[in-house]
Amino acid sequence: MDLETLLSYHWSIMTPEFIILGFATLLSLLDLFMPRKINRRILGWLALTGILAATISVFTLLGSAPESILYDTFRLDSFAIAFKLLLLIGAALVMMLAVSYEPRERIDEYRGEFYYLFLAGLLGALIMSSSGDLITLFIGLELLSLSSYILAGIRKKHLPSNESAMKYVINGGISTAITLFGMSYVYGISGTTNLKEMAAFLPTITNNQHLYLLALAFFMILIGLSFKIAAAPFHMWAPDVYEGAPLPVTAFLSVVSKTAGFIIILRILLSIFFNVPDQTGTTSLMLSLQDYLAVIAGATMIIGNVIALRQKNIKRMFAYSSIAHAGYLLVAVTAMSPFLVETTWFYLGAYLFMTLGVFAIIQIVTASADSESINEFGGLYRRSPFLAVSMSILLLSLAGIPGTAGFIGKLNIFMGALATDPAHYILASLLIATTVISYIYYFGVMVQIFFRQAESTKKFPLSPVVGIVIIICVAATVILGIFPNIAFDFLHEQFSSFKDFIQ
Amino acid sequence: MMENAWIIPLFPLLSFLFLIVFGKRLRAVSAYIGIFLTFASFIISLLVLIARFGSPTYKAEGIWLTIGDYQLTAGYEVNQLNALMLVIVSLVSFLVHMYSKGYMHGDGRISVFYAYLGLFTFAMLGLVLSPNLLQTYIFWELVGLGSFLLIGFYFYKEEAKAAAKKAFIMTRIGDVGLFIGMILLFWQVGSFEYDEIFAAVSAGMISEQMITLIALLIFIGAVGKSGQFPLHTWLPDAMEGPTPVSALIHAATMVAAGVYLVASMFPLFAASETAMMTIAIIGAFTAIFAASIGIVQKDIKRVLAYSTVSQLGFMMLALGSAGYVAGVFHLMTHAFFKALLFLAAGSVIHAVHTQDIEKMGGLWKKLRVTGPLFLIGTLAISGVPLLSGFFSKDEILVSTWVHGHTFLFWLAVVAAFFTAFYMFRLFFMVFTGEARGKTANVKESPGVMVIPMLILAVLAIGAGYVNTPWFGTFLGDWLTEGNQALGHGHVEGPAWIMVVATAVSLLGILLAWLMYGKKTIARDWFSAGVPTVYGILANKYYIDEFYKMTIVKGTTAFSRILHFIEVIVVEGIMKMVAGIISGLSKLGSRFQSGQVQTYGTVAFLGLAILVIFFAVTGGYLK
Repeated sequence: MDLETLLSYHWSIMTPEFIILGFATLLSLLDLFMPRKINRRILGWLALTGILAATISVFTLLGSAPESILYDTFRLDSFAIAFKLLLLIGAALVMMLAVSYEPRERIDEYRGEFYYLFLAGLLGALIMSSSGDLITLFIGLELLSLSSYILAGIRKKHLPSNESAMKYVINGGISTAITLFGMSYVYGISGTTNLKEMAAFLPTITNNQHLYLLALAFFMILIGLSFKIAAAPFHMWAPDVYEGAPLPVTAFLSVVSKTAGFIIILRILLSIFFNVPDQTGTTSLMLSLQDYLAVIAGATMIIGNVIALRQKNIKRMFAYSSIAHAGYLLVAVTAMSPFLVETTWFYLGAYLFMTLGVFAIIQIVTASADSESINEFGGLYRRSPFLAVSMSILLLSLAGIPGTAGFIGKLNIFMGALATDPAHYILASLLIATTVISYIYYFGVMVQIFFRQAESTKKFPLSPVVGIVIIICVAATVILGIFPNIAFDFLHEQFSSFKDFIQ
Repeated sequence: MMENAWIIPLFPLLSFLFLIVFGKRLRAVSAYIGIFLTFASFIISLLVLIARFGSPTYKAEGIWLTIGDYQLTAGYEVNQLNALMLVIVSLVSFLVHMYSKGYMHGDGRISVFYAYLGLFTFAMLGLVLSPNLLQTYIFWELVGLGSFLLIGFYFYKEEAKAAAKKAFIMTRIGDVGLFIGMILLFWQVGSFEYDEIFAAVSAGMISEQMITLIALLIFIGAVGKSGQFPLHTWLPDAMEGPTPVSALIHAATMVAAGVYLVASMFPLFAASETAMMTIAIIGAFTAIFAASIGIVQKDIKRVLAYSTVSQLGFMMLALGSAGYVAGVFHLMTHAFFKALLFLAAGSVIHAVHTQDIEKMGGLWKKLRVTGPLFLIGTLAISGVPLLSGFFSKDEILVSTWVHGHTFLFWLAVVAAFFTAFYMFRLFFMVFTGEARGKTANVKESPGVMVIPMLILAVLAIGAGYVNTPWFGTFLGDWLTEGNQALGHGHVEGPAWIMVVATAVSLLGILLAWLMYGKKTIARDWFSAGVPTVYGILANKYYIDEFYKMTIVKGTTAFSRILHFIEVIVVEGIMKMVAGIISGLSKLGSRFQSGQVQTYGTVAFLGLAILVIFFAVTGGYLK
């Protein structure tokens, strides 16, 4: 590649990535050279500025025609833009939580790293959303994973945090190995790592042996990636890691990292396995393996919701809840309805707001009590009506009660599962049944909030930044619940139903 | 201005949300927030009404949800009827908010009270603005919730709790009818939009029997909400709520929602002769039936409650007799004079701390403001000439006569006589004669309570002049403008009707005066003369007992059987399901050992199982 071709690329489509990369670099340099006594919190604000700048740049890219550079390894299409928005909004909210995060033993020494590792992770996720090649996809994935491993253990003098990082890195290693093994099959058969070329080549395969290998690759990639979204059977790390990791990191894992996981799953499934014919040649491999996906989705919903019932630690409970939500999303992926991408996008958006709002409230309540027991929510209504009402709205949304974004999201998934041919009745009923089970633990928290006595009457030190996060999340949850068409109209206008996904 | 009408319900909603969150800290200040926000609602409602005079109906809506091929919309509409209702609701609500400042003074849960009032007002205004049946239904239920919360406001009183429950359940029976009617309508028309429903009706898309069925089902909803026979029994019990609540919800606004529903779906009802006839008969019957009970009640609020039931019957009678204008007109005047009567009654209760009229008497001299105001309300409801009730009641009688319901007409005349009689019985027993209770400490209510009553009194006198046979039927012409289906703005009737109406009302007053004022006729000539009839009336026709004996007993017996099934079968299954779930949960948590090697193993096993299963079923190992 000579300089001329290099310069001829439309680098502008990478603006969001460049901004995040620039800020991450700037932050690490500042952290190195700033005098020790200066509080590193200012770096957090700088990081937030970077994320907001990147968000604005994504908006300026809205409506541009799909384009790819660097030999089709990086492509910007409506899918990429839509999901980048989710990632950036989620990361911005997480960053606001991180700025006001203050663990008991203090992390002043590593506070700088804390912030730029978030940016590095975010950069990985952004690259994933725009990847047109297995290699960039994998590099994005690893960038996100490696940053997350360190983030989970950022409280170096806190034993659970260390344990959590350790477990995360070991499990992550296993999952990466499995994913890569699966990808290597795909490469071996198609002879290319480029998704576009694969999409062109794969439909022409007629050799049954090759198709069989591709099916094995499908399973391996799926299982490997189920780690990222905390779905069965690779979900078991989640409760331990969520519990031990610092709260903003937990929030990051359950929102940004999970969104990235779904991005890569959709990319790979839709551009690779959707194009592989099955043995009979009548349908695609992906659709003929739907039942397996359904089993994974069902198991994930059951495991997440059922085990959540027994949890006493609030972060652990939400780890299982996050597993359950991954299960709901997998129902949409299984059904492969024509609105798959819209449904997933909306649900992840709704999930982003309700989960981050909940984590913001958990951060306030647990920090003040220095305990993560669900009992700390006892009598919250008396101690802080604002937190109590916000928490209730978010919980109602997580439970999928009408009038909230969670309900609309679940309704879409439900309708999608029934609208396809053949309809997935069992999966849809399982979705409803497990949702009912989830009422028990969500409402259990609400019972604590409203009907239990508070152990102390102390007020909470509510920092304005966290307050803003809560308000944004609650407002978005309610507005998207009552006027879901705001989001859908935006999708239709800006992304015209993701028609340019694989072209 | 009309495009901003959506703001109107948001003020009370804001009041509700704000007071629920911050009410505890604000305490008595809550009242000012509630008053201020409802006042804002009222001002905008007034501007919207004025704007509506000069411009056509405004409607704005957007798609709320798309399910398959159907699109559910949400939005708001300002037509003549809504615009008028907006002003009535927001005005009465504002006055009641203000009045409650004095009435509820010193109550520890005053912020909760104002929060509930805000919720109710929001729901009622939302109901009025709804452009489609689904939205109406949502707010209809929300209004019921507000009413439930406020009736049960003194939840530590057993009666209040029971009354709240009764109101909720009785109205719910009606709502089931409404719901089924609504679904049938959607099935037939494919839309909840009023416009499209009416268009479908006038285009003959729905068969006549179907229209009748739907109209009757929807009317059942209205019967429940508006306390019509036979679902009226909750309304007198609802008087357990604080008196300002009775004025707002159970006199002026919510109970009128049934009438409003029939009025706003008038073209549908008008398409079915049977439905119209049913409405007229139920209305007339309720009017005379409740009025006769009102004659013997001893609780000041219960008299007013039965009077409300009876007056709502008048409105239904008007609507059933194609008297759209008469029904809506009476709804308006009734809202003003009945709210006035309730607030004045509240002022009396506030002063003497009892609701038993046997223990009152001679209060005219003590309550120099409340007394005359109560008298104005009484004169208005009795249909004494020149006050608002006279004109609207006359309009109802004329419509009934012109429509050819001769028998119902005479029933209504008798009911009007009863009305004048029991209202003046109430007035004479409370305000004249010897004091029968302790009246030493009786003091007039404070200004915040008096001013709302004064405003309502002015309206109770003057509101009738917007639609009179003498000075022009302005209201009627405006209400029916541009809509043929609603009938004519004014119905010409024979002049003697007005004379008869005046005569019966004066006759009723005279009889009441002879019995309770001058006492030339012994008070007990009726109860002593025909004790059976008196007993029946005093026991409200034994309707409650009848329900207890039949429906409640029957339901109880039925529920015993169900209970048996429940314990053995359902609970067995439930326990099994719960057991399985909690067993799974326990098992799952045990798996979660904290050992990272287990986690990896599980993932591998999962992968292995999938692959083996695929190999077996995928056709390669066959």
